[in-house]
Amino acid sequence: MMLLCAHVPSYRLQVALRERAGVCNPSSILADQLQRGHAIDATFQAKREGVHIGMTLVQAQAAAPNATVLVHDAERCAQGWEDALDALDRVSPLIDSASEGTAYLDMRGIAGAAHDWIASAKEALGEIDLSFRIGAAENKFVARAAALVADGTVCEAGEERRLVAPLRVAVLDIEPEMIARLELLGITTLGELAALPHGPFVRRFGRHAQRWHHNAQGIDRTPFLPRAHQLQIAADLYGEGTVEHEEQVYFALRMLVERVHADLDRLGKRAALMHLQLECENGEERKLAVRIAQPTADRTMLFDLIRANVEGLTFEAPITGLRLRASELESGGTPATLFSGSDPDPRAVEVALARLESALGEAATQAHLTAGNRLESTFSYERFTPAPHCALGSVREEVPAAPVIAPPQLRLLEVREIDVVTVQDAPSFVGSPPQTVIRCAGPWRIDESWFERRIVRDEYDVLLEDGSLYRIFRQGGRWYIRGAYD
Amino acid sequence: MPASSGSAPAAAVALSPHREAFAQLKAGLDSRHQATLAARFAHSDPTLVSTGFEALDSALGGGLARGTIAVFEGDVSSGRTSVAARLLAAGTRGGFAAAIDDGTLYPPGFAAAGVSLERLLVMPVSDPLGAVRAADILLRSRAFAMTLMPAVVVKSTLWARLASLTHHAGALLLALGEQAGNELGYFASARVRFRIANVQWTDTFGPFSQLAGYEIHAQVIKNKRAAPGTDADISVHAA
Repeated sequence: MMLLCAHVPSYRLQVALRERAGVCNPSSILADQLQRGHAIDATFQAKREGVHIGMTLVQAQAAAPNATVLVHDAERCAQGWEDALDALDRVSPLIDSASEGTAYLDMRGIAGAAHDWIASAKEALGEIDLSFRIGAAENKFVARAAALVADGTVCEAGEERRLVAPLRVAVLDIEPEMIARLELLGITTLGELAALPHGPFVRRFGRHAQRWHHNAQGIDRTPFLPRAHQLQIAADLYGEGTVEHEEQVYFALRMLVERVHADLDRLGKRAALMHLQLECENGEERKLAVRIAQPTADRTMLFDLIRANVEGLTFEAPITGLRLRASELESGGTPATLFSGSDPDPRAVEVALARLESALGEAATQAHLTAGNRLESTFSYERFTPAPHCALGSVREEVPAAPVIAPPQLRLLEVREIDVVTVQDAPSFVGSPPQTVIRCAGPWRIDESWFERRIVRDEYDVLLEDGSLYRIFRQGGRWYIRGAYD
Repeated sequence: MPASSGSAPAAAVALSPHREAFAQLKAGLDSRHQATLAARFAHSDPTLVSTGFEALDSALGGGLARGTIAVFEGDVSSGRTSVAARLLAAGTRGGFAAAIDDGTLYPPGFAAAGVSLERLLVMPVSDPLGAVRAADILLRSRAFAMTLMPAVVVKSTLWARLASLTHHAGALLLALGEQAGNELGYFASARVRFRIANVQWTDTFGPFSQLAGYEIHAQVIKNKRAAPGTDADISVHAA
């Protein structure tokens, strides 16, 4: 299989610069937003002046005072990339849009050799005012690497490892912290990474390291996922008077949902994202994106979800126009629900989530993710979405029974420094006024982020004279409280 | 017992102690049978949620009632969360549960207690009104079988509203706090006070000693379904 990779380096920055064609300042910073924004990309000149990705805009402007600040426009980027993909359709019907700025084309069965395909891709992209780099190889990673090495590079089969060897490890799309960690170990290029033994490297750096090591050897097993041709399902209501009352908005919204639903039904699709655009008499334009965790074509559910999001909005002028668009379409039509009476209603969950996000902010609905070892389990949050298998039947069959054990629960407290008196290096009196430690277990040595700043602490479980159980820790000669067993 | 008349009065007199003993034995068995039946009936009541601890369920008259507010009270280190984790585990087995987090929840512990974390919606809320608002939306959705929230101090009208929503949703609203305020105490159907009674350690001293578990003393201080004042001793222990 031969793949072409069409890659636009710093795609978002290029789009922003294209929109500001009159500005020819070689030092430019791309920010996510103007107010309290962060630098998300910068030109080479700006980076030389000291701008780093992730800096606040104030810091970036202080580092490069003469730089032009450009604001990222997600919608324009998405539209621009769709145009580029449509242009590439003329080269191959099978396109995998990996991300905005990188696309892969499956060239099987297309007449000609790699250089002919590259030439036709360049011709197709001639109308797009972006600097594309085209590379050809047997797999996706190497095709992209070929594009990065030089525009028009073709990597023949068997040459993959040699081609990627001089590239820096940053090509692997890994976190900056991990790149720094590898560099500390003297690994800066893919060739050096590929030379490491596979097993020990993966054991040391985790399961993701398996992909890095394979990529460094020119192997990429990620599948080719052809994009679906985008369908537009939208309905709008303009020029039919103004609405001033909430009920009128909902009435108009219901009409739009009916129309969108009819189109979805006709095409046998379900929508995962709804875009509502409201225009006011004073020219104000409000856009609302309603994400649906479980794609649906159920009109009541669509209406309830959008309504729940609109509930929190206030307008200063009457609304003159509404436009509703469905995107991220999936095949299948309205899912048949097999819910029994006692199973959770996914629609109710979706509406509750939308209401919570509307009332308390997007960070309000989260689910825990746990990771880590036995003594020091760390955890993080991600956005809560109902498990997909809920929609397919009774949840009771899916979830294993709870274990019979009831382990002690740690309740986290605000970490604060405490007074501890030690005898023979173990805590004997804790707190102020001091309480006698009846029994103590530990220490457990916790070692975090050893490759960056060495954070080492010793944790103890202590039973105090009043019968309470706490987890405390010592770090850098000071004692802190971490939580209570509750 | 009627005495036999006629030709064998002596035998009748001789039999009576046996019959009396038999009657006493039967009465005893009947009462135990009735008690067992009542307990079985209470435990199988679908409107009740088992706490996961048999002793505590018995003290509560079968468990916590759906459609009501329950309060678990106790000091910071009292064992409330360990019992709440078992309830959450049961809640996430049958559907979704929600926890309004004031920044003290420790999910790895919940996972160890059998809580299905992908079915647990967590809302980090810092202020009491935010917690009430979140609970209001959750209960209104009727999609969450159980909601865990801190026992915040707010106006009685807000608790009245939550009590009404809980009743209509048929859900269990569980509030955790050091002590329920007057408003929450009034609207709660069950209040249980916990304290850690006895801590167990692995039998080794020194650096390899570990917390093995603890016993929790639970006292039911209010219960609308059964007589309050009952208590139970339950035990939690590490796997």
